[in-house]
Amino acid sequence: MDCRVKAGSAAARARKPAGTAVDAGGETETSLYEVRQKIYPRAVHGWFARWRLVLVLATQLIFYGLPWLTWNARPAVLFDLAARKFYIFGLVLWPQDFIFLTGLLVISALSLFLFTAVAGRLFCGYACPQTVYTEIFMWIEHKVEGDRLQRMRLDRGPAGAAWFGRKTLKHGLWIAIALWTGFTFVGYFTPIRVLASEVAAWSLGPWETFWILFYSFATYGNAGWMREQVCKYMCPYARFQSAMFDRDTLTITYDAQRGEPRGARSRSADRARLGVGDCVDCGICVQVCPTGIDIRKGLQYECIGCAACIDGCNQVMDKMGYGRGLIRYSTQNAVAAKQDARYMWRRVLRLRTLIYGALLLGIVAALLGALYLRTPLKVDVIRDRAALARETRDGMIENVYRLQIMNTSEHARRLTIGASGAPGLQVIAAQPVAVAGATTRMVTVTVRANPADVKRGSYDIRFHVADLDDAGLRVDEKSRFFMR
Amino acid sequence: MKRAMWILWPSFLVGGMAEGIFFSMLDPSDLNLFGQPLELSRNAIYTIGFFLFWALGALSSALTCWLQQGANTAGAADG
Ligand code: SF4
Ligand code: SF4
Repeated sequence: MDCRVKAGSAAARARKPAGTAVDAGGETETSLYEVRQKIYPRAVHGWFARWRLVLVLATQLIFYGLPWLTWNARPAVLFDLAARKFYIFGLVLWPQDFIFLTGLLVISALSLFLFTAVAGRLFCGYACPQTVYTEIFMWIEHKVEGDRLQRMRLDRGPAGAAWFGRKTLKHGLWIAIALWTGFTFVGYFTPIRVLASEVAAWSLGPWETFWILFYSFATYGNAGWMREQVCKYMCPYARFQSAMFDRDTLTITYDAQRGEPRGARSRSADRARLGVGDCVDCGICVQVCPTGIDIRKGLQYECIGCAACIDGCNQVMDKMGYGRGLIRYSTQNAVAAKQDARYMWRRVLRLRTLIYGALLLGIVAALLGALYLRTPLKVDVIRDRAALARETRDGMIENVYRLQIMNTSEHARRLTIGASGAPGLQVIAAQPVAVAGATTRMVTVTVRANPADVKRGSYDIRFHVADLDDAGLRVDEKSRFFMR
Repeated sequence: MKRAMWILWPSFLVGGMAEGIFFSMLDPSDLNLFGQPLELSRNAIYTIGFFLFWALGALSSALTCWLQQGANTAGAADG
């Protein structure tokens, strides 16, 4: 694909006015991004819509709530970039623990692969922030501007006082939510209570202000204005998902064998005599679709798998007295073989999902193991290269080291430092060394040896840093000791 | 304007990734600029760093778009 905007591209064909007379009319909106047909999704009720609502509430409860939780008298989840420490409940991650973050990313990616292979774009339809915020913003729009028809009329009508009032209210509410979202986002990086008091006192730092506004603006723009365009043109996942799909992946499917030939008919008409399928060509499935596609044309990459069309069509089927599921979650194989859900579930376990699953389990296990075995103490030995060794007044030989001791756990520790590797090594330092929780301390240590016991030359020695209160905790670190 | 999205968005993602990798390995307070330590808070450096990475990514995306466009108009024959 080239970078030019072509007429007849995905955008241009995205939306056709839906069938019936009242609905005929797609508003052409000249937006900042492209000339697109503005989509007025119709609200839908049903089983999947309810689930979507539950997930919107759940994800937002977590997102907005998490920064307010406390743990050990500090925020439970805090990515303290300024101090280069991440707190996640009982866990403190340091830059040295980079590997864990990488592991976490790999796990997320693999889970996404697995979910996608099994159930298509579940993530997009139910959990992706883009969907969730669009959902919230559309809900506000619905409350303020009315249902689909009222919204279309409002936009087509004159820009009078009513128009102005409703638009102001809508954007005001949108901006309020966006600001709260931006504030919460920054609350993951700065303790949110501090941030809140700073906002209240009008004393926010410039960087925090900037990021709150930046994130708010992104939320407002993406959920209020861009909407389905983000999924269509910006999301890389939407593009490479097809690589993870196969004929056994659950997708939103229109059962063409059952639905076609489509056509309007009365409730009481005999389908067999008319020679029509179950689709009454009401266009509901198109009207409810947030990306404005017609699922009856087959699976398209614009489909975010939100299942709104399933709910919509099921309502129609109920009204007509036909069986539900003309549009349903199904797999290509199941539809082709006219098979039921049992067949589909048996096919869930196949080579691709088994491989993804095994990889996922393996990495999760390795990561948990590594986390469990992680010693909460790290020691780096830095030696002064310029001064190798010096002689004391009473004839002993001394080497000076600096030990950087990092206590990655959250409670304070009392440590002892010992050394071995040459006969009769003495460690001279103010012992025990107290290191507060989640801090680093630099300790200067002198190691002394008697020339009567130790010949000239250099020795590999080891420092032993042990916890006075926890016999099992000891860290050894190598260095060198010079006898002139 | 779709082009703006194609330029700004991938570079935003790449900028975010670069930021993450770069600063998880390097402490901004260790950075020197022309031999002078940077007199800025870590958060300031993170922010500036992010926008720098983003800008670089955008530049690259813009060049790609530009080259591709030229290639398409100039070389219709070689498709
Ligand atoms: S909602 Fe169902 S019946 Fe109506 S047009 Fe779509 S597939 Fe046909
Ligand atoms: S086709 Fe159906 S599932 Fe796909 S995006 Fe549209 S409404 Fe959602």
